[in-house]
Amino acid sequence: MEMVTLLTATLHAAIISATPILYAALGEIFAERSGVLNLGVEGIMLVGAATGFYTVVNSQSLLLGVLATVAVSLLFGLIFSFITITLRASQVVTGLVLTIFGTGLSAFLGKSMIGQASPVIFHKIPVPVLSKIPILGHVLFNHDMLVYVLYLLVPLSWFFIYRTREGLNLRAVGENPAAADALGINVFAVRYFYVCLGSIFAGLAGAYLSLAYAPSWLENMSGGRGWIAIVLVIFATWNPVRAALGALIFGGVDVLGFKFQARGIGISPYFMRMLPYLITIIVLIIITARSQMAKNLMPKALTIPYDREER
Amino acid sequence: MKTKRVFVVIAFLLIAITLFAAGCGSKQTSAPGNQNQGKDKLKVGFVFIGPVTDGGWNTSHNNGRLYLEKQLPYVETIFVQNVPAGSDSERVMRQLIQQGAKVIVATSFNYGDTVKKLAKEFPDVYFLHATGLEVAPNVSTYDIREYEGTYLTGMVAGKMTKTNIIGYVAANPIPCVVRAINGFAMGVKAVNPNAKVKLLWTSTWYDPAKEKEAALSLADEKADVLAQYQDSPAVQQAAQERGIYSIGYHADMRHFAPQANLTSFTWNWGPIYVQEVKAYHDGNWKGKAIWASAQEGAATIAPLNDKLVPADIKKLVEETKDKLSKGELTVFKGPIKDNKGKTIVGEGQKISDAELVKCNWLLDNIEGKL
Amino acid sequence: MYLSDKLNLGKSIKLEKRLSVPPVLYLIVPVVSVILVLLLGGLFLAVLGYNPIEVYEILLNGAFGNTYNFTETIVHAIPLMLTGLGVSLAFKMGLWNIGAEGQLYFGAFMASGVALFFHDLPTPLMLTLVLIAGFLGGALWGFVPAALKVFLGVNETLTTLLLNYVAILWVDYFIFGPWKDPKGFLPYSKVFPQSAMLPVFPGTRIHAGLVLAILAAIILWIIIWKTTWGYEIRLIGENTQVARAAGINIARNMLLVMIISGGLAGLAGMGEVCGIIGRLQHNISPGYGYTAIIIAWLSRLNPLVILLVAVIFGGLNNGGYALQMVGLPESTVTMLQGAILLFVLGGDILTQYRVKIHRRGCGA
Repeated sequence: MEMVTLLTATLHAAIISATPILYAALGEIFAERSGVLNLGVEGIMLVGAATGFYTVVNSQSLLLGVLATVAVSLLFGLIFSFITITLRASQVVTGLVLTIFGTGLSAFLGKSMIGQASPVIFHKIPVPVLSKIPILGHVLFNHDMLVYVLYLLVPLSWFFIYRTREGLNLRAVGENPAAADALGINVFAVRYFYVCLGSIFAGLAGAYLSLAYAPSWLENMSGGRGWIAIVLVIFATWNPVRAALGALIFGGVDVLGFKFQARGIGISPYFMRMLPYLITIIVLIIITARSQMAKNLMPKALTIPYDREER
Repeated sequence: MKTKRVFVVIAFLLIAITLFAAGCGSKQTSAPGNQNQGKDKLKVGFVFIGPVTDGGWNTSHNNGRLYLEKQLPYVETIFVQNVPAGSDSERVMRQLIQQGAKVIVATSFNYGDTVKKLAKEFPDVYFLHATGLEVAPNVSTYDIREYEGTYLTGMVAGKMTKTNIIGYVAANPIPCVVRAINGFAMGVKAVNPNAKVKLLWTSTWYDPAKEKEAALSLADEKADVLAQYQDSPAVQQAAQERGIYSIGYHADMRHFAPQANLTSFTWNWGPIYVQEVKAYHDGNWKGKAIWASAQEGAATIAPLNDKLVPADIKKLVEETKDKLSKGELTVFKGPIKDNKGKTIVGEGQKISDAELVKCNWLLDNIEGKL
Repeated sequence: MYLSDKLNLGKSIKLEKRLSVPPVLYLIVPVVSVILVLLLGGLFLAVLGYNPIEVYEILLNGAFGNTYNFTETIVHAIPLMLTGLGVSLAFKMGLWNIGAEGQLYFGAFMASGVALFFHDLPTPLMLTLVLIAGFLGGALWGFVPAALKVFLGVNETLTTLLLNYVAILWVDYFIFGPWKDPKGFLPYSKVFPQSAMLPVFPGTRIHAGLVLAILAAIILWIIIWKTTWGYEIRLIGENTQVARAAGINIARNMLLVMIISGGLAGLAGMGEVCGIIGRLQHNISPGYGYTAIIIAWLSRLNPLVILLVAVIFGGLNNGGYALQMVGLPESTVTMLQGAILLFVLGGDILTQYRVKIHRRGCGA
């Protein structure tokens, strides 16, 4: 029984800490699937967190907060798209710059909100009936709205990418933009759309932090989670379902670390935290070896700007 | 010409964002022109390791800075935040001195190397080094006997717990943190010898999500009162979410969790700053180790939450506070054993200040490691 | 109807690669970008109630205004120069090494190891060893992703990014654990012996790292533009297929380039711990390795220009502190920096492409 409580508690906590990473990672999967590496996730997340919190504090409405976050992160997505897709500037450099800009902007926006508590937050809503299931009920169905939305988003994203026409186009653009173009797919439009979608997801990840997980605004509150999301995408080999599992592992590492510590099991936290990165490198090696045989594991045109004249 | 149009588009987007930001954040009024007004004022430079808006350590020092400006009209303060210790801290302190700062307040232990180096080079500048260890003719170290405050919060926790398990989320095992936790545990022990303090280290001063994870882990371990030595209010929010009690640190964290927060430990740096800057102004300053105690009102606690804390506990805390401020009570009084069974100090003895400075043990009712 | 047919973005603005870049554009575009952002920033500052001209004056003064400020700007620029040079060499060959941060940390780690464990060596020997260790540390951290790329085809952008975290956590483990100063309380190592400290220019904090950076820039410039090897590197960067057809050994070149690229970043890390801080500690770099990518890119991978741009970035950092001292919130400074970069970035592309705007989408 002791083991069971430990396990359910750990899983429940892991789901919560996986949520912001997974939101950002799902978005990044879409962007990268279209061939665009957006390293600005951390910056967009912070701006999303600040915008969401700012709006909720001033309007008392969670819905408005989420909408504002969507609008502002969409704007960031457009800026990133314009510079990298239309102007074809380096995705890596633009992403880094966007993170600097976003960090500064969010800290600036947030100045007046320091030390305030949010008037309304995303509360936990146990799902009737389902949450009463022993063990699983608590683990899965005792969360807030944004977590439930994520439950839907993961399979939907998977279905969209692998089972629909649009998903096929998306993968084609990331795989071989010239060939996709020849088939009549508008490469630029596809990339714009998914980069912006990814940006919105990153913004929502931020809003989850400031409105549900630790409902307040603190400078730099994402604490590197945007970068972890980028790593997670690689770990998950650009697959939403694997990203969900990976997020549980990535999110669970810290949780498990605390559980071990509380029980006096000594494992260096630095090695614990190094583990996800090392595992990801190994995953990367494996998928690279396998993608020689099987396709679609990794978008081949990632980070390469598309230029029609240079086909 | 077409080149221009592209610029216009980017420019438009950025103008939109920046103007929006400006509109949202335009509440502050201080203009750079201000520095001209204070030509004859005594300049005091403050250096912070994090944002002064962190709601924790840095905010508490910044409040002290504001208090200083208010109390001593002849003082003008200059402050720089987010200065990492090392290359940048030396640069910033030098620049402050160059701009005429006569007193430098280094508000982080981490600035030790920089202060030591610069103090030799600028013998006329008076350095105040928070929680520092080395005193020089022009360097004073200053700290607050935080364990007197945490002793009180520990008493509240010890009285309020039903499960006899109290959770403590702390950042890094450095002496001042360990001392605060031991003070807390002494307070718990004084009122409830059966209670245990479960301690978790996060290895970060500032990561709300992680602090919350640690807090929830402790709640899972049946802790029903959570205390913290962290900058963010995440632990308080975790307690409210689980319907248990919590005790804040650094500043009054009541409004983040009104149904959970019992009280908070708070710093009061202002009086130290006023005292030392005044001494410099009057010409009777000298390097020394300042360790302000409850007798000087330095370590304080935020008002108890009347809705949660019964009157008898409140009375007990008030009485103890009174004793501390009169110097009638010693927190670390023997016999004290650490949680490995080693005797720290015997029956009837007190721990010396020299020992307290390098506090590297945990009291026997704490479950955790250094 | 596909979603892609409904949207017609990207077609209305068209970029054509310029066949030859008029040299004057290299000057005009960055200047125009900076002027635009200064105007925009000025507007922004004015809305906030600050006097823009005064703010810019303070920024400039804080960066280059007097001898002291100028030398400090150089101090901040040294690690940026070395890491910038390092990544530029890899970029030149088309390798996206974004791991300079980790290479810097590992270089610092190895150099610290030497300084801490061979503390009674005579100064000249010690300095030589520290230098070699710093270079080797970074080189090792550059070699790993290069080897993975060469032998297994693993994407180097992703592995270098991942290895950054591993290096930082690695250093954390040592300074929180085995190497922690027994007398200190914070996560840092013991103070290095004086023999391991790089010589400095009298009266300043500018250390020998500057000499290394200038030497490295000159050598890189000669290698890239004056040697056959440099020609090979450039050819691989421009067109791998052609290079392969020409019989160039791509694998060997990649390994070598990443070793040097990482090694230079390692030297930057060595410079920080042995030139300035004097011990290994948490957070030795405020992200030099990432800024280096921006610097290398803005400098068009020209080693000599990198030195200059690094100084400008050093100035932005120090000017930022100066602004704080007059009461401007720090976040404004970060924002201003980000905006300047976004503009220069967007503007930069216009030197290589000509813009054509079509009112309607034109067919494929």
